[in-house]
Amino acid sequence: MILLENVSVEYRLKSERVQALRNLTLRIGEGSFEAIMGPSGSGKTTLIQLIAGLLTPTTGEVIVSGENLSRLDDEKISAFRNRTIGFVFQFFNLPNYYTAVDNAALPLVFTGVDERTRRIRARTLLAEFGLQDRLDHKPDQLSGGEAQRVAIARALINNPKIILADEPTGNLDRETGTHVMELLQKINRERGVTVLMVTHDEKAAGFAQRIIRIEKGELA
Amino acid sequence: MIRRRDYLRLTTQKLALRKKRAVFAIISVALGVIVVVTANSLLEGVRDVAVKTIWTEEIDPDLIRVYAGENPYELLPPEAGPKQKAKKRIEYLSEAVFDEIRGWPGVEAADRPIVVQPVSVNVFDKRPRGANELQGVPEPMLLRYVTDRALVTANTNAIPLVVGERNVLLRFDEKRGKLETDPAGEKVWLGREVTILLGDNYAGVSRFQYDYNKREFKPLGEDEVASQHDSMERSFRVQYDTAIFNTTLTLKGRIVGFCPGSKVLIPLETAALCEKWVDQRNRVASRNPARVTSEVVYGERGRRTPKTGEYTEGAVLVKKGADIEAIAKRIDEMGFSVATQARTFEEQARAFDSSMRIVKKVAFAFGGLILGLACGLVWSTTSKTVSDSRVDIGLFRALGATKREIRRLFLGEAMLQGVLGTVVGMLLGWALALVISHWVIGFARRSVYEPEEALLIPNSIFSTNPRFCLLLIVGAALVSLLAGLLPANRAANVDPVKALKRE
Repeated sequence: MILLENVSVEYRLKSERVQALRNLTLRIGEGSFEAIMGPSGSGKTTLIQLIAGLLTPTTGEVIVSGENLSRLDDEKISAFRNRTIGFVFQFFNLPNYYTAVDNAALPLVFTGVDERTRRIRARTLLAEFGLQDRLDHKPDQLSGGEAQRVAIARALINNPKIILADEPTGNLDRETGTHVMELLQKINRERGVTVLMVTHDEKAAGFAQRIIRIEKGELA
Repeated sequence: MIRRRDYLRLTTQKLALRKKRAVFAIISVALGVIVVVTANSLLEGVRDVAVKTIWTEEIDPDLIRVYAGENPYELLPPEAGPKQKAKKRIEYLSEAVFDEIRGWPGVEAADRPIVVQPVSVNVFDKRPRGANELQGVPEPMLLRYVTDRALVTANTNAIPLVVGERNVLLRFDEKRGKLETDPAGEKVWLGREVTILLGDNYAGVSRFQYDYNKREFKPLGEDEVASQHDSMERSFRVQYDTAIFNTTLTLKGRIVGFCPGSKVLIPLETAALCEKWVDQRNRVASRNPARVTSEVVYGERGRRTPKTGEYTEGAVLVKKGADIEAIAKRIDEMGFSVATQARTFEEQARAFDSSMRIVKKVAFAFGGLILGLACGLVWSTTSKTVSDSRVDIGLFRALGATKREIRRLFLGEAMLQGVLGTVVGMLLGWALALVISHWVIGFARRSVYEPEEALLIPNSIFSTNPRFCLLLIVGAALVSLLAGLLPANRAANVDPVKALKRE
C-alpha cells in the first residue's frame, strides 16, 4: 500500500520558487498496475521519486508499506529502496563496464548477498526473460529491448514489492515497447508486484489498471 | 551492506576505468616511496656497519689520549718577539709529565705513544688474493685479528708490559661473530682481560710463529728471538738515531683466552710471558742510551723539533671505576689537550644516530615532497572519478547504497592508489638500494690499498626495518585516505535525483 497525504514539494530554481506537487493525496493499492500521465513538468517523476524515498516532501507524508519515509534515516531509507523498490529507467542506466548478469545482480551487492548466489539469481531471471544468450554481453552489445529487459530483471532481482518505472518505453520503438509493457504486466499479475509507471504513451498506459493524471502538481 | 570483497571489486573496477590517471598517481606515490625507502635502507645499512665499527673502538673505554696542548708546531722561535706573547707556550709531553700523572690516584699507567706496525695477515695459509676473496679463513677470526689492535700485537711483536689484569664475562655474538662483555648474561665464557702497554724499539722482532695445522700462534724460542734482536740492532745503528726509536707506544687491549667459533688467537700463557719481556726491554734500552741533545731547531713555520724525551702525544690509562673525566680535566688544566674514548657503546651509537638523523631528514623531506605531490594526484584522480561517476553514484543510491557506502567506495579508491604506490615503491626502493649497496661495496673493495683492508668492508650496506615498512604503508594509506576524503564526501552527497536526470 502506498499512501501520499497532502504532499507538497517545493524547490528553488535560481531565485524562483517552483511547486512541483501541491497538496496531493493519493492511495495506491497493493498489487495494482497504475500509470501516471501528464504533461512535462507536471510532477510525475517527482511523485515516483517521493515514493522511492529519493525526495523528501516539503509538507505532507509519504507512507509506503507501512513506513513513513520522512522519518527514516539514510541507512534505513537505503535499505528500504534496496528491498522494497525496483527501478526501471527510460535510459536503462546500465553501467557499460558490467555484463548483463552483473547489471541484473547489482542491487544484491548492496544487500550483501555473496557473488555466487547473486550470479545464480541473475542468470535465472535473465533466462526467464529470454536473455540466456546475452548473459555475458555488455549493455552496448544489447538491443534497446534487451537492455530494458536487463533493467527490469535488475528491478526484480531483490523481489521488491513495488516497481517504479519512469517512461520505460520512452527510448524504445513501438513493437519493443509493447513487449516491455507485456513483461511488466506479466510481472504484476504473476508476482503480485505493484507497478507504478510514468508515461506519455497512451498505448503503454493502456496496460495499466488505472491511469492517474497530474497537471501542475495536482491530480487532474 | 556491501561485502568487503565487493568493495574491492567495485573500487578496482572504477580505477580500471581511469587507467592512465590511476597509473600516473600510483607511479607518483611510488616515486616518493622509492626515495624514502632507498634512503632509509642504505642509511640503516650504514648504521649497522657503523655500529660494528663502534664496537671495535670501544676497546679503549678507560684510556685518555694526551696531546701536546695548543699545537706546539705553531709556536714561533723566541726571536719572533711580540707575536709569540699572545700565545700560551706549551711544552711537549715528557717523562716528567708522565711521572706526575702516574702519581695521581685513579691512574693505572701513563706513557708515551707507540707506533703499531702495519697489519699483515699473510701468516694465514689461505691469504685472500683479491678484495673479494675472503674465504678460506673464518671471518670472525680475520675480522677480529685485523680490527682488534691488541690482537695484532701477536704478529707485530711489540713488547708488551702488563699493567692490569681482570677476569671478564664474555658472550659470543653469533650474528656479529665477536665476543662481547656480558656481566649479567646467563650463558657466558670466562675471558682474561689484560691491559698492556706496548713499548718497542724492536717491534719487528717476531715472537710468535703461526702453526698452520693447528691454526694458532706459538711463541718462538729465546735463541731465535735473540738472534732476530741482534740483527735488528745492527740495522738500527746503521740507519737510525736510537733516540727516535726510544719512543714507545701505548695501547690497551683485550686478550681473550678462547674464541668460540674460531681458533685460539693468543693463549693465556702468552700473557705470562709479558713480564719477561719487560726485563728484556729494559736490558735493550740500557744497551742503547738515548743521544742527549740540547739543540733546538725551528722549522719553516716556527715549529720546534721535540728534544729527546719530548713527545707530541701520550696515553693515560685510568683504573677501573676511577673518574676518567676528572682526570682528563686535570690533564687539560696542565695545558695539554685530551681526548677520552670513554663513551659507552650506547653513547657512540646515539652520537652516530644524531648525525644520521640530519641526512635522513633531508631524504625524508624530499620523499615527503614527492609524496605530497602524489597525494595531490590521488586527490585529482579520485575527484575526476567522482565527477565522471555521477550517474553511477545516483544509480547506486537508487538501488540501495547508503551515503556511507558511497563514501567508502571512493575512499577505498584513493587508499588503493596510495597503498599500491607504496608497495610498488617499496619493492623498487629496495631493489635500488641493493643495486647502490652492491655498487658502493664493489667500489670500496676495488679502492682499498691492501687486500686485508677489504676484510673490514661489509658485504652489504642494505638493511630493512619491518617496523619502518609497516609504518610507511599505514602512513601512505592514511595520507591517501586524507587525499580522498574531500572527493569521497562529494560523492556521498551527490543528489541521486539530479544525477539520474537526463535532459
